[in-house]
Amino acid sequence: MQTQKAMNTFVKETGGWVASQLEACTRCGMCAEACHFYQATGVPEYAPVWKVELLRRAYEQRFTVSGKVKLAIGIDSEISDEDLLNWSSYVYHACTVCNKCSMVCPMGIDLGTLIHDVRSGLAEAGVVPADLAAAVQKQIEEGSPLGMTDEVYADRLEWVTDDWEVDIPIDKEGAETLVVLSSIEVMKFPQNIAAVAEVLNAAGENWTLSTKAREVVNFGFYEGSHSHTTLFLKRILDQAMAMGVKRLVVTECGHAYDALRWTAYNLMEIPDSLEITHITGLLGEYVSSGRIKLKAGAFNEGKITFHDACKIQRKGGHINEPRQILNILSPDAFVEMTPNREEAICCGGGGGVIAIKDADPIRYAAFELKIDQVKKTGADTVVMSCSNCRLQFTDGKEHFNLDWKINGLTQMVADALAD
Amino acid sequence: MNWTTFLHFTRGPLFQVSLLIFVGGMAYRLVRVVLLGWKGDKAPAKGSKLAGVAKTYLKGFLIFPFIPWVKRTFNRNPIMYLAGGLFHLGLFAAILLGTPHMLVWKSLLGFGWPTLPLPIVDWLAAASIAAMIALLFYRRTNSLLKLLTGPAETLNWLLVFLPMVTGYIMTHHLFFQYEVLFSLHMLSVDVLLIWIPLSRISHFMFYFFSRTIHGVEFGKRGVTP
Ligand code: HEM
Ligand code: HEM
Ligand code: SF4
Ligand code: SF4
Repeated sequence: MQTQKAMNTFVKETGGWVASQLEACTRCGMCAEACHFYQATGVPEYAPVWKVELLRRAYEQRFTVSGKVKLAIGIDSEISDEDLLNWSSYVYHACTVCNKCSMVCPMGIDLGTLIHDVRSGLAEAGVVPADLAAAVQKQIEEGSPLGMTDEVYADRLEWVTDDWEVDIPIDKEGAETLVVLSSIEVMKFPQNIAAVAEVLNAAGENWTLSTKAREVVNFGFYEGSHSHTTLFLKRILDQAMAMGVKRLVVTECGHAYDALRWTAYNLMEIPDSLEITHITGLLGEYVSSGRIKLKAGAFNEGKITFHDACKIQRKGGHINEPRQILNILSPDAFVEMTPNREEAICCGGGGGVIAIKDADPIRYAAFELKIDQVKKTGADTVVMSCSNCRLQFTDGKEHFNLDWKINGLTQMVADALAD
Repeated sequence: MNWTTFLHFTRGPLFQVSLLIFVGGMAYRLVRVVLLGWKGDKAPAKGSKLAGVAKTYLKGFLIFPFIPWVKRTFNRNPIMYLAGGLFHLGLFAAILLGTPHMLVWKSLLGFGWPTLPLPIVDWLAAASIAAMIALLFYRRTNSLLKLLTGPAETLNWLLVFLPMVTGYIMTHHLFFQYEVLFSLHMLSVDVLLIWIPLSRISHFMFYFFSRTIHGVEFGKRGVTP
């Protein structure tokens, strides 16, 4: 029954785009070297190619002669409920959908997207880790997976407005830019809200938050369920369209940006007049055009390194803006990790992994690669533009007793605004 | 049947039939995949898809397979890179730039091209054979590759290995009468031609799909592939 649902989803998803890539794989295993979960644990099943194995089997059994022959002579078997359970632990617990593997695959297979397709099948079959499923349910009912209800949202914003003494427009009529925060920021990094407001105010942006479109996080996208993804996207986009804003800004949240910027267009109609961008892109734009002025060298003490987030840098393309800004703020202190930019290693907490308690041991194991990388730079401060990464870094810092300072890019910009 | 008639058979009718199966089979595979349908991507691009595709092919062809340290992540897996690159290099040198093979292409396509001197092809073929043995060894020992290797993968290896060794032995006039070796070379080539459309060796065709997709995906995001 479950398998049937998963199979149907796999089959539905398998167009030429998926099939041609599954056909191209030579089973060379090189992609494994890219995956922080495989590298950290050495578990063969965590190799990216093995994570898409389920999709490949489904494709071959349904669509190809060789797959049918293999099934008939017993080299392959029908996909079972047990397979679904196993793959659930590979693709949800041990994958952040960071797509680093696609850069290493000699055939250039877009593995991250294929793994997302595997998740879609498992989501239809209901074989989603309990923690993730619970968070999705919570987001359906309360509007946020982190317990950020309407009241909590209003309270937190009021508190930030008072404590940081900053103007935060809410539901402002005629605003041109709608900013949607992530509940991670609201609940864990409220200073980020103040920072966003300070920067946008300084730039003279005609912006607002919304009480309806208040959660940019999309646990349906983590889960891979099309219907939940669409439901949560619509909560934001319907409101943006109703308000008639020109621009939708995603704050420091990576997967939400991936969902809105690249996926939403293929799930619903979005008018050309609405631009969807990320706060990192906006910061770069403000600095380049001179709409905000920064105090040069404001953070020039010690050593500062930048962590590239998979969905904002590698998959979002906002790679140069953080460098541009850090070269102004920290001309001497800024050092790059190796590898960096589009080849950066994932922090290990994205893709919903940090929300799954059972994944903690491998999440920490993967983070050790990051610790190693940062240590090699000698940096005492790590900056990033994704609050999900930031959650992983602050948690990892505590777990491993690291004496790092973790900072957000927007927050640094806000702290360095020249009056 | 003596070896001469067997050679005529494997070089003649069997070769032609194998070639037909190869071409027909690959065309079938191609059409099947293409007809599965292609959804357009409606997300507005941030960068140039074309530039992404151009860059990824340049990297894929020129750098990727042969220089393991270009991308720092695969320091851990030099065998697959070096041996895999060397194997393909030798393979391509032999089947495209070896004189007897170029003549086959000429008879099929109607035009030929300059070829490499025999000693060079010969050394590359030897290196290729050595690389294949290393690849097999690696496939049998590495825990991930053991997971990824089923009977089909082993057959892939074997059916490419046979023409390589028979061809190599033949050029050196070793062990057997030339006609025997030539027949065996042709037989193994014929079997390979029939096997390719049934197997993953068809990767050389789908490579162009996955590379293009890779370039489009990275290019549209404005990221270097
Ligand atoms: C566009 C052309 C091609 C590309 C890009 C390509 C690429 C690759 C890659 C990346 C691998 C995996 C790693 C490795 O062993 O190097 C591979 C494996 C392999 N390729 Fe190719 N290939 C091409 C053409 C061919 C052709 C024409 C043949 C044979 C007639 C072939 C036979 C094989 C075999 C047998 C393997 C498996 C080796 C093993 O056991 O690991 N390839 N190819
Ligand atoms: C997968 C690899 C190979 C394929 C598909 C292949 C294919 C062929 C084909 C189709 C012919 C027929 C020529 C004809 O009918 O006149 C041929 C002949 C020949 N092959 Fe190969 N070959 C391969 C590898 C090699 C290698 C590695 C060598 C040696 C370095 C080699 C040496 C020869 C020689 C010397 C002949 C010509 C025999 C003659 O005309 O007297 N081959 N090969
Ligand atoms: S997307 Fe990232 S986490 Fe997932 S398999 Fe690939 S490298 Fe590993
Ligand atoms: S690196 Fe690419 S071709 Fe090799 S096994 Fe992984 S997905 Fe397949």
